[in-house]
Amino acid sequence: MTRSRIWAALILIWLPLAVTAFTWAAWSDRLPDRLPTHWSGTGPADGFSDATGFAVAILAVGVAAGVAALFVPRTRYLLAACGAVAGGAAGVWLAAASTDPVDTRLGWRFLWLVAGIGWAAVVAVVAGPQPGGHTPPPVTVTPLDLSPTERAAWSTTQRAPLLLTISVIAALVIAVVAAAGPVEIWPVLAVPVLTGLVFGRVRVTVDRRGVRLVAGLLDIPFKTVPLKDIVRADATEINPLEWGGWGYRITPGRSALVLRKGPGLVLYLTNGHLLAITMDDPRTPAALLGALVSG
Amino acid sequence: MLFRVDVAAAEPLADQIAAQVRGGVLRGELMPGERLPAARELADVLDVNLHTVLRAYAKLRDEELIELRRGRGAVVRGDADVARLRLLDLARQFVGEARRQGLGNAEMLAIVREAQP
Repeated sequence: MTRSRIWAALILIWLPLAVTAFTWAAWSDRLPDRLPTHWSGTGPADGFSDATGFAVAILAVGVAAGVAALFVPRTRYLLAACGAVAGGAAGVWLAAASTDPVDTRLGWRFLWLVAGIGWAAVVAVVAGPQPGGHTPPPVTVTPLDLSPTERAAWSTTQRAPLLLTISVIAALVIAVVAAAGPVEIWPVLAVPVLTGLVFGRVRVTVDRRGVRLVAGLLDIPFKTVPLKDIVRADATEINPLEWGGWGYRITPGRSALVLRKGPGLVLYLTNGHLLAITMDDPRTPAALLGALVSG
Repeated sequence: MLFRVDVAAAEPLADQIAAQVRGGVLRGELMPGERLPAARELADVLDVNLHTVLRAYAKLRDEELIELRRGRGAVVRGDADVARLRLLDLARQFVGEARRQGLGNAEMLAIVREAQP
């Protein structure tokens, strides 16, 4: 996502608005006063709107999407979402305006709407891939001074007592409801039980193979990052709200194991993604990874 | 906690690993009840022989610092005496330095007595 690509994406987001405005002006003399604007199934339209009012509403949505695109954070996904709204609005307009006033079946004009929403893909492609998360801040941790004959490994066990307690309570409530109530919700029980088992205790290991997250209570690795995929590591403060909340969070370009607010280890990966793990002393594994990655 | 061994050092690898665990307990990085990495796993990540790690763990068990239980692995003992461990650590340094200076047992004991206020 370079500057020029973002500008191109912004122009593409405004383009459907121009299409709506242009076609409205060009077709104004042959458009009926009331446009078919609602269909159920494949039959003729069952809802009509005032043509001018409908066009103005569509233009307003296009303007809103275009303005929103100027102010939202410049991420590929948000720009594409604006593109979907702008394109979708223009698609609705084209479908309605091009429908025969006599035979008001929608038919193939449905594709205008599909194409309009599909405009999001064009915007996303033009905007280009997301750069590696945020601009990597300078490294704050000095790499561990490992001599070539030295071997090092680090591991820690992170406990989440609050999460474990909540899981147990949730499991109990579900079990009681399932046993007493008429609703069969036993399968739902798996959610808190699994959450508790996987995240109640997590072992994090850093060694010459890379980084591994192991569900401590089950002893099953659930996330492995090979050393070759790690560009560098750093210690930072993790604010759960910035990483999508608590638990194992996946947001575009970033994933995180957030068990609490506080210090955490951040890995910058070769594919531009970020992986964060909350832990008590992130400086030691960051220093070790610094040595392992450069070594 | 961090495990760090130097294959080129004069100190045997098992002793190095045992020292790392002692240091971890001393610094509070390893709490009583905390599980040490499985011997097989630690041997694998440090790229040392499994028996080396088992020897280190056996040594720590003899020092009453950890418990070895089949299936549960190595766990830092709840009654791990950190104060005693600190003294032991200092004594090791003292003995090591004294040996380097060529002192015998009697001379070392004399120095300890002399150190009393």
